[in-house]
Amino acid sequence: MRLLLKLAYRYLRRRPGRTALTLAGVASSFLLFVCIESLAAGLDRALSGQDAARTLIVYRMNRYCPQTSFLPERYAKRVREIEGVESVLPVKVYLSNCRASLDVVAFQGAPADELLATRPIEVIAGDVERFKNQPQSALIGREFAARRGLGPGDSFRFGDISVDVAGVFRSRDSVNEGLILTHLEFLQRASSVNRLGTVTQLEVKVDQAENSGRIAREIDALFKSDEEPTDTRSQLQFLEDSTRELRELLAFARIFGLVCVAVVLVLVANTVLMSVQERRKDFGIYATIGFRAPHITGVVLIETLFLTLGGGLLGVVGALCAIHFSHLSLGVEGVIVTFDLSPMVFVRGALVALVAALLACLAPAWRAANTDPQLLLKGA
Amino acid sequence: MTFIELQGVTKSYSKGEHRITPLADVTLEIKQGEFFVLLGPSGSGKTTLLNLLGGIDRPDDGTVRVNGTSLNSMGPRGLAAWRATHVGYVFQAHHLIPVLTAYENIELPLHLFTLDARQRHERVALALAAVGLTDRATHYPRQLSGGQEQRVAIARALVADPPLLICDEPTGNLDRDSAQATMHLLRRLNEERGKTLVMVTHDVNAASFGSRVLRLDKGKLLEQPAESVQ
Repeated sequence: MRLLLKLAYRYLRRRPGRTALTLAGVASSFLLFVCIESLAAGLDRALSGQDAARTLIVYRMNRYCPQTSFLPERYAKRVREIEGVESVLPVKVYLSNCRASLDVVAFQGAPADELLATRPIEVIAGDVERFKNQPQSALIGREFAARRGLGPGDSFRFGDISVDVAGVFRSRDSVNEGLILTHLEFLQRASSVNRLGTVTQLEVKVDQAENSGRIAREIDALFKSDEEPTDTRSQLQFLEDSTRELRELLAFARIFGLVCVAVVLVLVANTVLMSVQERRKDFGIYATIGFRAPHITGVVLIETLFLTLGGGLLGVVGALCAIHFSHLSLGVEGVIVTFDLSPMVFVRGALVALVAALLACLAPAWRAANTDPQLLLKGA
Repeated sequence: MTFIELQGVTKSYSKGEHRITPLADVTLEIKQGEFFVLLGPSGSGKTTLLNLLGGIDRPDDGTVRVNGTSLNSMGPRGLAAWRATHVGYVFQAHHLIPVLTAYENIELPLHLFTLDARQRHERVALALAAVGLTDRATHYPRQLSGGQEQRVAIARALVADPPLLICDEPTGNLDRDSAQATMHLLRRLNEERGKTLVMVTHDVNAASFGSRVLRLDKGKLLEQPAESVQ
């Protein structure tokens, strides 16, 4: 085995330019692949929030962007009276961009006490009391904090809205971690928003998940003839609807990512095949001396594994570093999807690289293992 | 004692639309410890004969026995294992692995045996000393002269101590002095270590080192009078 490793390493080192270019090609492809997979995993995580089944989102009917959904704040009181409703959180949403964006700024304003009681957040830095007592203060999700380099005591300004960061929180629901949570009235009074008495949505917690459908129908029936009719969906349905275009794009991007891997497979196979073709004499020597097909296949396999796994690893690590340090997240219609850096993404990338390596080495290994030693005696 | 025995060996192959028969009903015996030389012009079938003796190819008809073992019945795996233990090859073009040093090239066949690193080192050191290249152990083939490369190839051929050395035009790419030194080395291996040598060449000077010389012409073996080789 040591001999095979040594031979594979020396052969690769013999053509440093070709080896480096192939590694770079493989790394680029896997960087793309892992970024797409990481975003897909982040989206899956966002759609699997633990409270999604017991939470309903009440929205203005026929409105799809938070910037256009306005509900009277007083609706909250009427919804609380419906049997099975545990709590109602009126939320004002303000977004930098309603369309898909990689650096979306999303403010959500809600009554402080209710917000802290309802949202699954845990303040990990800063002072909650300061947030409660200062109307211009905000709690920011740790993803947003990392992306913008903000911490407790800092100020953040976006457009006409300026907040003081009172604390940083984390949440078991990843969609929360890119948000800026502030006070409802503060956000309603912000000059660019300025709609006192209106909210974007109501977040309704119900006692049991199986009551969700009934309660959603009751809410919509309650406001059917009102000035602002509502459209109530489970949080999961709401997230799915909001991210539908994103998921469709992502499904295409995943195919694109796999195509990139396939291109890499062909690239590596071609490189190794060229290398094998150049070394037919060497393989003839091994065969003549008494090395058998498995030995020769081993050298080619190790070379291919080095190129594909090595390049793949570079790409995966590069992607993880890029995602980790850039803290990018993708926002669409107020839903913020963070890239998922879980070990599964890494394992998936490594497995795809391994399969690509095995497939890429098939033709070169077969060619090498079937080199006729008679070529040597004919003076090849 | 007969070491190599060919009985009625015929080998033919296709070249384009033509059927070529370089060996036709060849019968030959080579004794153990013999330095057997085969002379002949290009295309006379010398290489085909070496392929058959070295277990690289199989005859269409007839039998090839080496040291009592019939090569006809062996499969590719068996022939590979047999080559590893029974045959050392020396080629005209040296055929060293360019990414390995002289030491590593010589060590290469030993990886097919269950030897530990110390045993391999001892054998390689002996082989290097036998060809007078101890001080070139860490050199790569590109750093060696043609004669030195050929000596490394000879060391590689004998490091596993095979009873048979097959030499295909071993002096073909060498200058006169290197060729002379190589032939002296091969004769010493034959005389001192009792190796059976089968060498093909068209160089009559190299052929003069053999203990028996035959000429292959149009697929038939002909005795070569000793005086005509001198």
